[in-house]
Amino acid sequence: MKPHSIPRRQFLASAVTGSLLFPGIVQQLLADNADPLAPKQPHFPAKAKRVIFLFMTGGVSHVDTFDPKPALTRDHGKEIKADHPEIKKRPGYERIYLKRPQWEFAKHGQCGTEVSALFQNIAQCVDDIALIRSMHTSHSNHYNATLGMHTGSFAQSRPSIGSWATYGLGTLNRNLPGFVVIAPKQTYAGTQVFASDFLPGAHQGTLVVPGAEPIANVAPRVPASRQQLELAALRQINEEHLASRGTDPLLAARLQTFETAFGMQMAVPDAFDLKQESDATLASYGLQRGQTTGFGWQCLAARRLVERGVRFVELIDTGSSGNWDAHGDMMTHGPLAKNVDQPIAALLRDLKQRGMLDDTLVVWTTEFGRTPFNNTATAKGREHHPWAFSSWFAGGGVKPGIVHGATDEIGLRAVEKPVHVRDFHATILHLMGFDHEKLTYRHAGLDFRLTGVEESHVVKEVLA
Amino acid sequence: MAFFESKVLPLLQSRCYECHSHEKKIKGGLALDLKTGWQTGGDNGPAIIPGDLVKSHLVQAVRYADPEMEMPPKGKLAASEIEVLEKWVAMGAPDSRVAKVADNKARVIDIEAGKKFWAFQPVRDAKAPAVKNRSWPSNDVDGFILAKLEAAGLTPNADADAYTWLRRVSLDLTGLPPSPQDIARFTADESPQAREHVVDRLLQSKAFGERWARHWLDLTGYADQIGTSNNVFAEHAWRYRDYVIDSFNLDKPFDRFIREQIAGDLLPFTTPQERAANLIATGFLVLGDVEIVAVDKLKMEIDLVDQQVSKVGTAFLGMTLGCVRCHDHKFDPITQRDYYAIAGMFRSTDSTYKTDNGVWSSINACEMPETPEQQSRRTQILAANEAKLKSLQSERTDAEKAKAALEPQIKDATKEAKPALEKKRDELAARIKAINGEVEHAKFFAPIAPKAFAVHDRPKTDDMQITIRGNPYALGDKVKRGLMAVASWGELPPIPANQSGRVQLADWLADSRNPLTARVTVNRIWQKLFGEGLVRSVDYFGVRGELPTHPELLDHLATRFVRGGWSQKQLIRSLVLSRAYRMSSAHNAVAMTKDTDNRLLWRMNRQRLDAEAIRDSMLAISGKLAPANGGPALPLEFPENVTSLSPKAVNPPAFNLKKFRPVQEFERTVYLPVIRTATQPGPAKLRDVFDFTQPAQISGKRAETAVPTQALFLLNSDMLRARATELAQHLTQTESNAGARLEVLWLRVLNRPITSAERDEANQLIESLLADKAWIELSHALLSSNEFLLRL
Repeated sequence: MKPHSIPRRQFLASAVTGSLLFPGIVQQLLADNADPLAPKQPHFPAKAKRVIFLFMTGGVSHVDTFDPKPALTRDHGKEIKADHPEIKKRPGYERIYLKRPQWEFAKHGQCGTEVSALFQNIAQCVDDIALIRSMHTSHSNHYNATLGMHTGSFAQSRPSIGSWATYGLGTLNRNLPGFVVIAPKQTYAGTQVFASDFLPGAHQGTLVVPGAEPIANVAPRVPASRQQLELAALRQINEEHLASRGTDPLLAARLQTFETAFGMQMAVPDAFDLKQESDATLASYGLQRGQTTGFGWQCLAARRLVERGVRFVELIDTGSSGNWDAHGDMMTHGPLAKNVDQPIAALLRDLKQRGMLDDTLVVWTTEFGRTPFNNTATAKGREHHPWAFSSWFAGGGVKPGIVHGATDEIGLRAVEKPVHVRDFHATILHLMGFDHEKLTYRHAGLDFRLTGVEESHVVKEVLA
Repeated sequence: MAFFESKVLPLLQSRCYECHSHEKKIKGGLALDLKTGWQTGGDNGPAIIPGDLVKSHLVQAVRYADPEMEMPPKGKLAASEIEVLEKWVAMGAPDSRVAKVADNKARVIDIEAGKKFWAFQPVRDAKAPAVKNRSWPSNDVDGFILAKLEAAGLTPNADADAYTWLRRVSLDLTGLPPSPQDIARFTADESPQAREHVVDRLLQSKAFGERWARHWLDLTGYADQIGTSNNVFAEHAWRYRDYVIDSFNLDKPFDRFIREQIAGDLLPFTTPQERAANLIATGFLVLGDVEIVAVDKLKMEIDLVDQQVSKVGTAFLGMTLGCVRCHDHKFDPITQRDYYAIAGMFRSTDSTYKTDNGVWSSINACEMPETPEQQSRRTQILAANEAKLKSLQSERTDAEKAKAALEPQIKDATKEAKPALEKKRDELAARIKAINGEVEHAKFFAPIAPKAFAVHDRPKTDDMQITIRGNPYALGDKVKRGLMAVASWGELPPIPANQSGRVQLADWLADSRNPLTARVTVNRIWQKLFGEGLVRSVDYFGVRGELPTHPELLDHLATRFVRGGWSQKQLIRSLVLSRAYRMSSAHNAVAMTKDTDNRLLWRMNRQRLDAEAIRDSMLAISGKLAPANGGPALPLEFPENVTSLSPKAVNPPAFNLKKFRPVQEFERTVYLPVIRTATQPGPAKLRDVFDFTQPAQISGKRAETAVPTQALFLLNSDMLRARATELAQHLTQTESNAGARLEVLWLRVLNRPITSAERDEANQLIESLLADKAWIELSHALLSSNEFLLRL
């Protein structure tokens, strides 16, 4: 017998056609077995087939970015009163004063939406954006507000919005995970922001850390020829075992996971292989050829993932330090904005150019805003502000070029058409074709849903 | 009054009743179809203060003055309508309606009716029913199982073969596979007690507690981290983990185990060790996902109380008590008063304290009594630490002097000599910085008297007021401390003055008359051994949970458990020695059509090994498993793993794990650090891949997923590669020929002899590769196989 011959031939046959690794019985079993990631139809037809969720960690100041407040500049240093959670009983914060924004605002696009100089590139895309200026949330701690923005729950862990998305829609490419989170560092609430919690584990977000090996254990540790031998041996062992067990969907499912994993070994490096992109594309995202980190890399990787059928991609820009949490100095918003501004604009344009913006929903948000005041007239920073912040949608099913809701004159309260995080979630689910009250999961005797037990409403005005 | 009837009432009816009337909904607790409705008001208190427009929430709400409360929410009333309401309130809000509306509050919970539900009925022992096939049962358990099968026209599967049974019971009881020696001993033991010999050996092994403790830890939210922010280390948490392991190994009666965890600090004791164990046990109440960074300390404390009530509910009672914080239970006969009766006990207990770091709090830690040996050992370590500090400090002084001496030299040095001197100075500066870090670390971790995370009663204990919708600033009635009425048989015995009542709570939980505790506990044990519970919703015995498939068996086991002194080992022993436990898990086409889900237990349920069993088994098989005796899980002894030690820091001391003790690669998984907010660290990584219960959750049942990341882990992880390589080395070193190696390989990994077909295939593979590689690939393939990953 020639060395290698039989196992390799068998193995390759299976890898190419799937016929040997999936004999009839296995196919049958897989069909019987409820595959948690099989593609599913939503409750009603919807434009958005996939979501890119851009999360800015730390609390982006609304009054310095998307919510112009001339009164703040006019009344800079004026004392005000507010029964605010971040200053209550806090020594040194008995008196508070308005603080002016550090960046100029200007009108952009046909729609004339005002955006500050911090986001000069995103500003060029306002005609594709539905901006919400009346966001508000339920907590002023990073941990709780971050958890809330991702899971709808401000205290206990609950499934992430991305997990709900794959639970509802399944996935389109079994060689890639359905829900991917690309983050250079752990944000507040850590892995809880992409946990499937009580939903089946298949809906857990797969963490990608920008770098040489974005998904753990994808790179084979041995040469391909040896891995093939090993897989052939494994297949033989598993099939004999299956044959002796009559019928067992889990065994078949496990066989399938090896097929998928084998596919992932190629699909994942391919998805993250930016070498295939043109110089012009790389440049538009602000990337050097060969670069494997940075928010530009995250954005371009996100486009490549959704292109390949991944349902929900979340990009987190920073970790739980060195982020937008500008207590000490608002000017730290400068480099953070620079990090994301060009890549996000490039992503929107790239999707549009490829005709993908029509059925891809892009969400931009943070966990809360920042106070329009501080405890001295000369304070450089701003504090956490759950009462008002700005978020935006673009793409699939969104009415472009509009501004929804408003804060009061100084950006303290969302006064016009306030949108709570729960409403925000209900709207995202609606854009994906789900009635947020009906996308439920039975756990511990209760029907849980992303929007929880409190009332929430789809923001109809932002729908196209 | 005419104004009310002609102008106000129609307005209320058309614009407010939809959400605020007894006929429709009573949102926010406010009803406007009665005079008393607005007088009492809703969650925010009275809706109208007659004559006072500013203080009347109703007026403020319709004016849209507060964005948090704008009514009606769908759109502001017309200015003329608002005026009507304003005028009415200003007039003193005359209201002609008399209380005619039936006071049918959405749902009144009837406790007596609720008690009729099976789970709240007293446990009733039942005799094993008569069966036709009298030769099958080997103990009482089997009679209950067989009777149901016979009634459904089903027959139990044949016994599993000896290898399968041995592997099953070894993995279930210890989380480790049998060794080739164990297999040889069992297959050679021809006595009728052969199985008993195996079971007794396993129950007495330390590995038993190491496995079963982890099942309990899944119900506690255990982690080596406090809360979820900033990686704050829970440096004493391991003591609780070790306490749980010891409790299982000592077969501590479960009623005692309950009392220690709920009220250990209040229990009498005779020895320092007993006192120490009692204190450590209360870690149960504080080692969950406790929020410690919050400006609002009152809210933080109330949230922790909620977590404690919920945990007691899930772990001991199989009830979801968390829901009841804000409203009576939607499905179960549990009222808000039940919740606050128990919550008052935890509100009277101190669990956290404010630290000096910024807005941070921490979990209470208390000093434990020491035995004389412990004391003398600590004195020695202390002396060593002092000596280390001294030598570090003197090294620093020398370095500082040398550095100071260099400065003038650098100043005067020639251009050529300068760089070398500067380099030397910089090296000294770096060394001084490093020493400072080491000194800080040595000071911080100077051996102190052993401490445990534990609770104690507050100096002033009291009943608790209902918090409206969980808001600690909106308080309702005070509720006398007590118990969950539907599961009680009488009043709570009086709580001694200045005590929280946790002793009385523990006594109630651990009472043989409690209808839930024993049932919930034996059901969880059953589930770990048979794959599914007799009640499949193991953490929830409420109205919307699953009904028991074998209610009489459940009660029989609960009765026997309590009569047997709440001994978990005795119960486990009798279950694994039953005929039912011996059944094969093989397929049976007829039974499948009649009972697809195997609810009647016509076969054994096969289970996928959990994360711990996978890693630990691989270590045992490769021969690398290192014995461990517990102790700190976090390797905080390495200064590089610790940050923010300065007492003046805004943030508390935290871990940043960069380095592990080399031995941790080879210790059982239960001893590795558990992290709450990040991926599981270092050698514990595979927990995340194989459905570990994340410590932010509480769950008596692990998920059993089959996802590609598991396959990737099995194919490509360094860990699999390492174990496969070690196993291959072991084979090639101990056995000289391929035939013997194959025998041993199959015995070690799959715990059964190799078949001849398998031998032929394996030989083919071996011939096709260089020898050293072949054994690694073959070992790797076997360690990733379904047969290895399942316990049949």
